[in-house]
Amino acid sequence: MDGTPGQVEGVQRWHAAVAHTADVGVRATAPDPRGLLEEAATALAELSADVSHAKHVRAQEIEVRADDLAALTFAWLNELVGLADALGEALVEARVERLDSSPDGWLARGKATFAAYDAQVQPRLQVKAATFHRLKVARLAGGWNLEAYFDV
Amino acid sequence: MSALAAEPHLALERIDAFRWRIPRSAQAGMRVDGLVFADDGLIEPLRDDPCLSQVANVATLPGIVGHSLGMPDLHWGYGFPIGGVAAFTLDEGVVSPGGIGFDINCGVRLLRSDLAIADVKPVADRLADALFRAVPSGVGAHTGRRLNRAELDDVLQKGAAWAVAAGHGTADDLAVTEEGGRLDTADPGQLSERARLRGSNQLGTLGSGNHFLEVQVVDQLLDPSAAAVLGLRPGQITVMIHCGSRGLGHQVCTDHVAVMDRAVLRYGISIPDRQLACVPLGSPEARAYLGAMGAAANFAWANRQLIADAVRRTFASVFGLDHSLPLVYDVSHNMAKFERHRVGEREVDLCVHRKGATRAFPAGHPGIPDAYREVGQPVLIPGDMGRASIVGVGLPGAMAETFGSTCHGAGRTMSRHAALRQLRGVNLIDELRREGIIVRVSRRGLLAEEASVAYKDVESVVGVAAGAGHVRPVARLRPLVVVKG
Repeated sequence: MDGTPGQVEGVQRWHAAVAHTADVGVRATAPDPRGLLEEAATALAELSADVSHAKHVRAQEIEVRADDLAALTFAWLNELVGLADALGEALVEARVERLDSSPDGWLARGKATFAAYDAQVQPRLQVKAATFHRLKVARLAGGWNLEAYFDV
Repeated sequence: MSALAAEPHLALERIDAFRWRIPRSAQAGMRVDGLVFADDGLIEPLRDDPCLSQVANVATLPGIVGHSLGMPDLHWGYGFPIGGVAAFTLDEGVVSPGGIGFDINCGVRLLRSDLAIADVKPVADRLADALFRAVPSGVGAHTGRRLNRAELDDVLQKGAAWAVAAGHGTADDLAVTEEGGRLDTADPGQLSERARLRGSNQLGTLGSGNHFLEVQVVDQLLDPSAAAVLGLRPGQITVMIHCGSRGLGHQVCTDHVAVMDRAVLRYGISIPDRQLACVPLGSPEARAYLGAMGAAANFAWANRQLIADAVRRTFASVFGLDHSLPLVYDVSHNMAKFERHRVGEREVDLCVHRKGATRAFPAGHPGIPDAYREVGQPVLIPGDMGRASIVGVGLPGAMAETFGSTCHGAGRTMSRHAALRQLRGVNLIDELRREGIIVRVSRRGLLAEEASVAYKDVESVVGVAAGAGHVRPVARLRPLVVVKG
């Protein structure tokens, strides 16, 4: 595929948690893959901590590459999980500034923000990793859809 | 929150009161039958659960021998089920990081004391506070100091022996730790910088989720003679620690799943779930993963050794005496091991994957410490924080049927969200206190997610393992103080 796949018109972004016996999953919808990665990051942030009152954030550049869009999603989410754990801080949000696909694969470049845990930023779940288990990223009539499961 | 996914029924044939077969015909590509250990009560909720499909999926992997196994605490994981065991031949088989799990060498260790319940009850709150301060726990927990590269390399090479050499334990601890607390196949060079960064300030921390530290009392001896060999007696205070390799291990798994996801097609391997990504055991990718897995396993053993040392120091300060708290045993329940097993009429070398499954070697096995050779390997099976945990010993039936494996815990029955919903408005800290259990937790919501209602009854689960002839229950331990992240 050449360039970023087109938008599905009129689609609103949303995400929701999906029950799993031991772990936890998320579903997300967005008008395009770029929005889908951002929405998945927001879902991950909400699972991991209450960041609704986070004030002092720091930004980190992110770049991930993969052979296909599902693997890119796995890499994107795990980059966010790994960075948050390495920093010892909570993920607040992530923005995709560039998303490319070519015969060599996919690339996502963007910025994520993190906030230190304090009275305003309370942890929820320790997310160990995003998994490939039942990972689905697909363009449907209702927009770009994602289902992903995290090990917690 | 969407409900749990219901799965189509897989063919499931009853073999006897404790065994169910998923025949090869149940799903395309299965190379061996699935074999699940459960009684009627445990199997019913699993009939439309994804974990049975996961047992079937594992049965499709190249080089699998015997059965794709589901222990009595079987539940839905990712890729492999939790409570899954599978063994692969060295020439045709594979290694799959998803068959070990993200928390490499997550495991349990048990310390015994010479204290009685009457010693602990009057100071239980003070002890709980002191343990909670001494062992960093919860999301983002760290020690406040990063190990430098040489120090971390030392930990990754030496495991628990590194901690002992640094004054955090004794040689006696290593003698009763699985593998002596060190895999000599570890290759720290296979770790990414991210894995190092995640682990370098987390050594000696408990983590979150289902990890815990409990002060317990031996409230029932189920096999007094074996209990005597393990140094357990009625009314005795014990300490159980459950944790793993922290962010370092999680990153190792993430890194190598990504590598194998790219490699799997190149090796012509077809998998029904990408999380089952795997490579032939003789491949460079397998060597790299196994080197990294060994290093993460050593980190986990060092982690549990440091936590045990912190517990010992805390007991010494609270009780004013040198309570040495000898280690009973330390078991791993997320690991791939190279072991020799009988398959049919032949003894063969295999790579045994245990994901949420505990090794359970029988009496006389050379892999068991000398002190326990006559009774079998101690098997530590934590339950939930409101009921009990079980100590057992491995039996020959495990060697014959499960590559020397058994359950690793009670096993979850419901999602975290469902547990939160069911316990909305319930003050679990007060409820547990009324039952004589003092809890310290970083985040109150975690208590509901980890409450008894979310777990099977460990005694039922162990009852199946015992009925199947895999484990002999030795003692039941009841929690008095619970520290969770």
